[in-house]
Amino acid sequence: MELWPGDRSMGSTLEIDGFGPLPLVRPGSAAELGEIVRAAASNGSALYPLGGGTKLDLGNPPTRQGNVVDMRALNQVIDFPARDMTVTVQAGMAVASLQEILAHEKLRLPIDVASLRSLTLPARREGAQQSTVGGVLATNESGPRRLGFGTLRDYVIGISVMNDEGREFKAGGRVVKNVAGYDLCKLLVGSLGTLGIITQVTFKLRPLADQHALAAIPCAAESLEELVNRIHGSRTRPVALEALNPSAASVALGQVSLPLPTGHWMVIAGYEGNHTAVEWQVRELAKELGAVTPEVRIGDTAEPLWQALIEFNAWPETKVTFKANLLPSATAAFCAAVDRLAPNTLTKAHAGSGIVVGHLTGDWTRDRTAAFLAVWRELAGKAQGRVIVTRCPWEWKNVINVWGPIGGDAWLMREVKEKFDPHGIFNPGRFYHGI
Amino acid sequence: MPALSQSTLLFDRLLKIVGPEGVLSAVSDLVVYECDGYTIEKHRPDAVVFPTTTDQVVEIVKLCGECGVPFLPRGAGTSLAGGCLPVGGGVMISLTRMKRILEVNCRDRYAVIEPGVVNLWLTNHLKPQGFHFAPDPSSQGACTIGGNVATNSGGPHTLKYGVTVNHVLGLEIVLPDGRVVRTGGPAEDYPGFDLTGVIVGSEGTFGVVTKIWVRITRNPEAYRTLLGVFETVDDATNTISDIIGAGIIPGALEMLDNLILQAVEAAFHFGFPLDAGAVLIMEVDGLEAGLDADAECIIEIAKENRAREVRRASTEAERLLLWKSRKQAFGAVGRLAPSYCTQDGVVPRTKLPHILRVIQEIGRRYDLRIANVFHAGDGNIHPIVLFDERDAAQVKRVLAASHEILDDCIACGGSVTGEHGIGVEKIDFMPKLFSPDDLAMMIRLRSAFNPEGRCSPAKMLPTAGACIEQSKAGRRAAL
Ligand SMILES: Cc1cc2nc3c(=O)[nH]c(=O)nc-3n(C[C@H](O)[C@H](O)[C@H](O)COP(=O)(O)OP(=O)(O)OC[C@H]3O[C@@H](n4cnc5c(N)ncnc54)[C@H](O)[C@@H]3O)c2cc1C
Repeated sequence: MELWPGDRSMGSTLEIDGFGPLPLVRPGSAAELGEIVRAAASNGSALYPLGGGTKLDLGNPPTRQGNVVDMRALNQVIDFPARDMTVTVQAGMAVASLQEILAHEKLRLPIDVASLRSLTLPARREGAQQSTVGGVLATNESGPRRLGFGTLRDYVIGISVMNDEGREFKAGGRVVKNVAGYDLCKLLVGSLGTLGIITQVTFKLRPLADQHALAAIPCAAESLEELVNRIHGSRTRPVALEALNPSAASVALGQVSLPLPTGHWMVIAGYEGNHTAVEWQVRELAKELGAVTPEVRIGDTAEPLWQALIEFNAWPETKVTFKANLLPSATAAFCAAVDRLAPNTLTKAHAGSGIVVGHLTGDWTRDRTAAFLAVWRELAGKAQGRVIVTRCPWEWKNVINVWGPIGGDAWLMREVKEKFDPHGIFNPGRFYHGI
Repeated sequence: MPALSQSTLLFDRLLKIVGPEGVLSAVSDLVVYECDGYTIEKHRPDAVVFPTTTDQVVEIVKLCGECGVPFLPRGAGTSLAGGCLPVGGGVMISLTRMKRILEVNCRDRYAVIEPGVVNLWLTNHLKPQGFHFAPDPSSQGACTIGGNVATNSGGPHTLKYGVTVNHVLGLEIVLPDGRVVRTGGPAEDYPGFDLTGVIVGSEGTFGVVTKIWVRITRNPEAYRTLLGVFETVDDATNTISDIIGAGIIPGALEMLDNLILQAVEAAFHFGFPLDAGAVLIMEVDGLEAGLDADAECIIEIAKENRAREVRRASTEAERLLLWKSRKQAFGAVGRLAPSYCTQDGVVPRTKLPHILRVIQEIGRRYDLRIANVFHAGDGNIHPIVLFDERDAAQVKRVLAASHEILDDCIACGGSVTGEHGIGVEKIDFMPKLFSPDDLAMMIRLRSAFNPEGRCSPAKMLPTAGACIEQSKAGRRAAL
């Protein structure tokens, strides 16, 4: 039965959020992907793009029957002019492989993505695969270095996407500065695969840092805000500023042998640059903090700690994970409120950017989760932010609104979705506002 | 569509919205608004209105809707691409009176401003707190941040700090049907599509931006500003690639060739060597610690590429004079020829030697002098073609030469605009850069915001029947 051209799935299926089984198709080229989309369009079914499968918990359950489109066969480097500091790759390439290729030329995409190669965390649940370029773009992944380097929207300079008619379109280009045409790259980043299937991406790159360091400072809950404020106003310019609550610190940092007084928070500042600049900043921070001496990891010895900080967001062992985006100044108070209400939560903040990720541990029921979520959403709202649930049992999702209440621009997003995907082929229903 | 001048009703209602001080409709007043920094094409708007609040903007666009009249937003009118050209007439909405800085929050590193705030005002306003607004187009003393948002402006320091979109967190926009939408806000990562990111750079074709949440950036603690003097353009461009290849991202890397040096030296007396093939302004900034190491490395690389000498700006005054010479280079070009015309192509950085040779060759072939001063680190060229607009035959050659240069940028895998925008000027290049499928998706996007095309018609996207005849090049300033 040649229903699905390019079908190499050999009968495998996947369930997403309890919906399915959805048969897998695996296009080997953009042309095959085009045929798959046209077939879906003509028989009125849906398509659910799949990368590494590490983020399938994100979003609402699927709403319509269709196929999962496994993009991992599209994993080639298209062009890597290292001296121009750009790279063009297919969307199915694993981010870890991309970073390896870039590192040969002393370059990188300075976006932290949790990987399987974690040195410090237990292995992921079975079946989880490595994140792909397309997957991290669709979910707009980021990590500690976002404070110093920004997020994916700052690095995608060109994109190719399969549209609802099975025709590939592109936006941007391959040069680092370009204002020709609408910047559809921005629209696609973080769109959770609802506007089309990303086939190819061009990134602008950054050099690997000569030197890097992490300075860890334990602190009591009461002084968290003050400490974060001091580092924020320091003469040093951290590229990362992380804050872990006591539970998160003891679990996530357990294997990196940082001295951690019980019941203390851990605040970690990251520095990158040339040797002189990094070493000066580490000394300067210690000087400014006076009484407390940061525990410093520099160069290779900092690597496991960076990894632990990066991997935390994908902590595998909890049922419920939420992410808040707040004004940075409100981070400490928000984290404290989470601790007060749900003491065993593993909470880590990108404190310089106002992003908080919390994993709920212990015996959480749907209704208890919903009740706490309502409180946190109110708190976040006061700090001009929102709370989304990035992971929870799918059975809860009819009660728990994972994306939260909608904002005043949601109708316009729906309008954009309708223009791009009028028949609702791509990831129907999974995104914000049921898009 | 009724001509506005005939529609006294519409004029009366505009008066009611903004008052007699807030609307111009006399032909003598409108002449100024016939064009922007791109002077080749001129169209007169039927009226120019100066709202002071979002509510007034809403009423204006609703009125235009009722009367079936097109409208377009305008900032300071420094666009070099005809972004403010009121094709088909209609109401021009000038945002220059919405110029308040509404909020500055250094702890959370954002400011909220109205669109008419001039770029440099914000940076000056932030100075006491040690912050600035990072995008610094050379026109920053005049252009508005609303205009920067619409064109996604760059500037000399965008090599390290990024362009406007990297510094915009949220927007308030009045859509053509009068609905007001707020996208994004002072925090990062709001759920949903990044509408903010796609409104930036939409060149006023989605609606009128009435409020902007911008990121503010801490000032660097220190600078090292170097001037590398080279015998040849090739040596200078190789230096650029090598610096970046060494893992250093300078704050700015700007190149001036011999012809522009002559003009700039005559104007500012900086002491540029008049016999150099090219000079590079190379600036590293950041913390004091480690800056000398980067500067030494750059000097080394320049020397390896046969720099005749590398000078350091030893005082802040010297640094500022160097930057003034750079940022006002276009003004100085007036000394070389009665008219000039600038392009805004982009090539991959390593193709700079190639494109500069191509420009030279094109200049020879068309018998035109072409000066170069540009954002070399980004591969963003600004060839300035010198001419005399009274010479019709020469004007034709200028346009032909400019188009050939841009065609070569495309052939190199580059773009026809790095920061000035498509506007009406480069609309014919869109089908060369993008396929019909690409353009179709852009049209779909526009139709979500501006379904009837009443806002900024005939801009950015080529549409049937909106072709603009380009016949004569005018005098243009640019960077
Ligand atoms: C000497 C000189 C040097 C220059 N140097 C640079 C440079 O280094 N880098 C660079 O990027 N550009 C440069 N430019 C180009 C120009 O200054 C920029 O494009 C600038 O951002 C335009 O701002 P403006 O306020 O003048 O906008 P305008 O010219 O008034 O408008 C530009 C476009 O923005 C739209 N627009 C304006 N305000 C709004 C609003 N509130 N809502 C929606 N749309 C709006 C208009 O419709 C138009 O399409 C230079 C220009 C000159 C004359």
